[in-house]
Amino acid sequence: MSALKSLVPARFLTLVAHLVIVITIFWSRDNNIKSCLPLEFTEEQFKTEDTRLLVALSVTLGLFVIELAGFLSGVSMFNSNQAVLSLLSHSGACVSLSCFVFQQWPCWTYWIMFSLCSVIPALFEFILLISLKSV
Amino acid sequence: MLLLNKVSQLSSTPLQILFHLNGWYFAAFFIAEILMFIYKGVILPYPQANLILDVVLLLLFLGLETLRLFYGWKGNLCQRSLALFVSVAVLVPCAVLSVYYLLLQTFVLRLEFVLNAVLLCFYSFELLLGLMTISVFSRANVY
Repeated sequence: MSALKSLVPARFLTLVAHLVIVITIFWSRDNNIKSCLPLEFTEEQFKTEDTRLLVALSVTLGLFVIELAGFLSGVSMFNSNQAVLSLLSHSGACVSLSCFVFQQWPCWTYWIMFSLCSVIPALFEFILLISLKSV
Repeated sequence: MLLLNKVSQLSSTPLQILFHLNGWYFAAFFIAEILMFIYKGVILPYPQANLILDVVLLLLFLGLETLRLFYGWKGNLCQRSLALFVSVAVLVPCAVLSVYYLLLQTFVLRLEFVLNAVLLCFYSFELLLGLMTISVFSRANVY
């Protein structure tokens, strides 16, 4: 019971930490885009990669809305399986996105972190939301 | 006798959830701010007086926030509109301090900007739910 009681705030804090880092990446994404372009790049190439990364970050924010909706509405607030999954994936996202920002990883690595750390918990959250409505 | 036992439940569950999560969030926020002040004090040419002022205001922020969460928690669970009103009243200086850290301190990092923006979202929702809950408590006839 005490473990379950601490899962709720831990999950919320990792979720908000991931959200904070994603919003920060919106501001500082220039360096990451330059990391995956050759030394001599055109403005067109920069805009293409910038648009691509912007779409990825925006979709990530959309997935955050799904996960926060499920959490704050109470559907999965006390579901310990979803809490552990969310906790592990968002913690991993915080660490890897911190490396992404500080070490200026190339922009294609964001898709790997996006697939593993944002899509999977949001997908399971969505399944829980749908299965609740069918009951 | 049946009527006497029917005491209606007026406490707001969403407000209680927000208070609980806000307590945890503010603890993380405070730790992050202390670490950022250490970072800024070492790296940036921070004037000594400004740094002391910002840290003292942060401690004041901690005190006010603790007071506000305690009164909000107590007022909501015990269904006392006066305690909840004190909580909403203390929300105003807390919001002022949050805006100070968002915009007006000597050096504002992007991380601080986002953290304070999230905190202000918390305050907005708690203000709305707090006022609604106060009106529910004041309107109810409990006997």
